[in-house]
Order: sequence, then structure tokens, then C-alpha cells
Amino acid sequence: MKCEHIAELLPDYLQGRLSAEQHHHVEAHLEQCADCSEEVVIWRKLSLLPVDQPDPASRARFEAMLQAYQAGRSSQPEGGTEWRKRAFVWSWNVFHWLRSPVGAMAWSAALLAIGVFAGLRLANPKPPSLDLAAMQSELASMKQLVVLSMLQQQSASARLEGVTWSTRDQQLDPQVLSALLHTLRYDASVDVRLAALDALSRHGRQPQVHKAILDSLQQQQSPLVQVALIDLLLEWRDPDAAQRLQALQQAPNLNPTVRQRVEWARSKLN
Amino acid sequence: MTLAPDEDLMLQVRDGAGETLGVLFDRYQTPLFNFYSKLTGDRTLSEDLVQEVFLRILKYRQSYRPGTPFRAWVYQIARNARIDHFRKFPRQTALEPEMLPPVLPTDSAQEQQEVELLQRALQQLPEEKREILLLCRFQELKYEEIAVLLGCELNTVRTRIHRALQDLRKAFHQLAHGTMLKKAEAAAAESIPPRGGRHEV
Repeated sequence: MKCEHIAELLPDYLQGRLSAEQHHHVEAHLEQCADCSEEVVIWRKLSLLPVDQPDPASRARFEAMLQAYQAGRSSQPEGGTEWRKRAFVWSWNVFHWLRSPVGAMAWSAALLAIGVFAGLRLANPKPPSLDLAAMQSELASMKQLVVLSMLQQQSASARLEGVTWSTRDQQLDPQVLSALLHTLRYDASVDVRLAALDALSRHGRQPQVHKAILDSLQQQQSPLVQVALIDLLLEWRDPDAAQRLQALQQAPNLNPTVRQRVEWARSKLN
Repeated sequence: MTLAPDEDLMLQVRDGAGETLGVLFDRYQTPLFNFYSKLTGDRTLSEDLVQEVFLRILKYRQSYRPGTPFRAWVYQIARNARIDHFRKFPRQTALEPEMLPPVLPTDSAQEQQEVELLQRALQQLPEEKREILLLCRFQELKYEEIAVLLGCELNTVRTRIHRALQDLRKAFHQLAHGTMLKKAEAAAAESIPPRGGRHEV
């Protein structure tokens, strides 16, 4: 028998899985062939390699991991609480987001838009500058779409991500602006409202944004957001600040902390 | 309980008995650690990867199906954990012989030398060849299980094992030859008297 034939049988020979007849053939070949018999020797020698022992601390590390995992699971009741918990995580991970269902949806939409755009571009070639402009506007509208769809999500965390997403653009699209203002006034989660206020205050130099933010003070129900808005009033040195503060102070059922803050702000103005 | 088959224990883990995983950890931590350490030559990384494997077992325990050999399933996870790791952190350095674990003293000096050479020869093989040898020789996976693991035919597994073994033999031979040459040179150098001495006589 030649080496090529033995090669087919050798792996099974090494694991003792050959029939008696095949086993005999291989042994006969090994007696004559130095290379093949050396391979068998090497195979056997492999068993001499030392077994590395892992660090004894590995067991404790495993136990800690197991406990942390089980504790993490038991503290998570059924339903969407995980999302609510995550709503407090302000710095969200892009990769995590991309893997989430919302992210997947946004990606799909973006890819579809790119596909459509590429198709159109191939179908009717235009001068490059026009193409670029078209691409940019396409991208901008894609971003808006992502933000708008995220702001309407049921989970607070997704809405929070939507708000963060909206801060990526220097320019605020009117549709996104009105969605953010809506969020600032009516969102169920205080965290999301605060995030929206933060996102909007970046555009405070635009008069209509400025006014819309401060107008929301009267309708605001959350003390935390009210305090943040009062601070913003002072920071921006709003001409109507005194008037707005007075109006707020007269509001019935005003939270004592907010009332204190209003008084403090009024003293600062004077 | 400790004598229960791995598969039964894994089914208990799947059904919520997380603490049973400890028994599987005790059974598999050393083989898995050796799989990684012999493959990467990096002890710290190997320990991290072993932990990652058990974390993944917890995470994906619902995907374990009764009747699946646990050993094959866990090595599937182990391979993926390693692939994911190197996808995230591409390797900066090649495997250095210094990173190899020390060889424990054995009865015979010659045997010890052979083991050392064999370790070095193994590290010279391309990773996929080293991996297949580790899987069948040390992790004792059946060829059928390796075929499923690597996503190839059974015959391909046989061919690959044979080729890996051929390469290992060649690498071992070259190293052994090199060592013998060095020894011969050293012996020759010892037998030549110092240069100055000869003239003085």
C-alpha cells in the first residue's frame, strides 16, 4: 500500500477506528515507511505535552460572574423595565444601538435610501456637484426620519437615543424642532424631557427656538425641568425673564423647591 | 451529581439551575484553558476567554437542545469567542516562544527536550492546523464533531488532520536537526583547544 492510501486511513488508525483488516494494512505499511511511522510517533508524543493549569483564582472569578449574572436577572422583572433602567444611561453605545431593533430599522431605512439614491444616480447621471448636494440632502432627511421615528418610540430609552441623535446635526430641521419641543412639553419621562431641553438649548440663539423653549415653562409640570428652565432664563438673560418668573410664581400648586428657585432667580435679576 | 453526564447538567442549567454550571466549569475549565493557551500562547487572554465561554453558555443556554453533545457545543462557543475576540482586537504580535508554558521536568532529559521541540514545532504550524490537532488530540473531539464545528465534510477533517500531522513532523524534524547541529558545534568548539595555547607549545 502506498502513502496516499495510508493517508486516508491514518487519522482513523490513530483513533483506533479501523477494521482489523485495515489496521493490519496500515501496520504493514508503517513497518516499511519511515515518514508515515514517524507521524504516528509524533501523534503519540503529543500526549506528552504538559497540561497548563489555569490560575486558581479563575474559579472565584467564575463564581463572581455567575452571581452577578443571576443577580442581574432576578432584579429584572418581566416587561420593559430594562429599557426604563437604561433610560438613565445618558451616554449610549452606538454599537449597542445599531444592534437594537430600532437601530436595525433605522439602518434598513438608511440603506434603502442609499440604494434608491444609487439607483437613481446610475439611471440619470448628473454633474457631480448636483449629485453630492442631492446625496447630502438625502442623508439629512434620512437623519430626520431616524430622529422623528425614534422620538415616537414607546421605550423611554429609544426616545432618549432619538434626542441624542438629533444633536448630531448643527442645523435643526423645523420638523425635528417641533418634535423636540413636543417632547420637552409632553414626554412621559423626565429624563427624556431634560435631554430634549439640553438638545434644544444648543440652538437657543435662534429666536424662535429661544422663545419656544421659554414658553414651555408655563406648561411644564416636572419640577426638575422647571428648575432647568429657570436656570436657562438666567443664563440667557432673557428680557422677559422677570415677567415669566412672576407668572410662574403665581401658578397654583407650585412645587416648594421650584418656588424657592424662582425667588432666588428673581433676586439674581434684581 | 458530579457523575451526571454533561448533557444532563446543561439541561439543568438551561432550565434555570445556574449553580449547576459550576460542575461543568470544573470539568471544562482546564481543557478549554489548554485549548486557548496552546493556540494563542497567552495565559491571561486564555483565562479571559474561558470566562467568556461560560458567560456565553449562560446567555445562550436556551439555545441548547437536548441530545446535542455538550463537548461539541461548548467548543463551538469557544471557537466563536476566540474569533470574536480577534475580530475586535486584531493581533499585534506573533506568538513568541517565550510565551510558551514552561516544560515540567520529566524523568528523562531527552524526553523533556523532545517535548520542548514538539511545543515549538506546534507553534510554528499555521493556526488552523494547530487548532485541528488540538481539537482531536487534546480536546478529544470525534472527527464527526470536528466536521460540524468547522463546517466541513468528514473526509476533509481526515485530510486536514493528516496534513497538519505531516507539517508537524517536518517542523519537528527541522528543529531537531537544528538542535543536533548546535550540539555538534558546541561539542566541536569544546574539543578545540584555545588558539593561543597551540602556538605556545
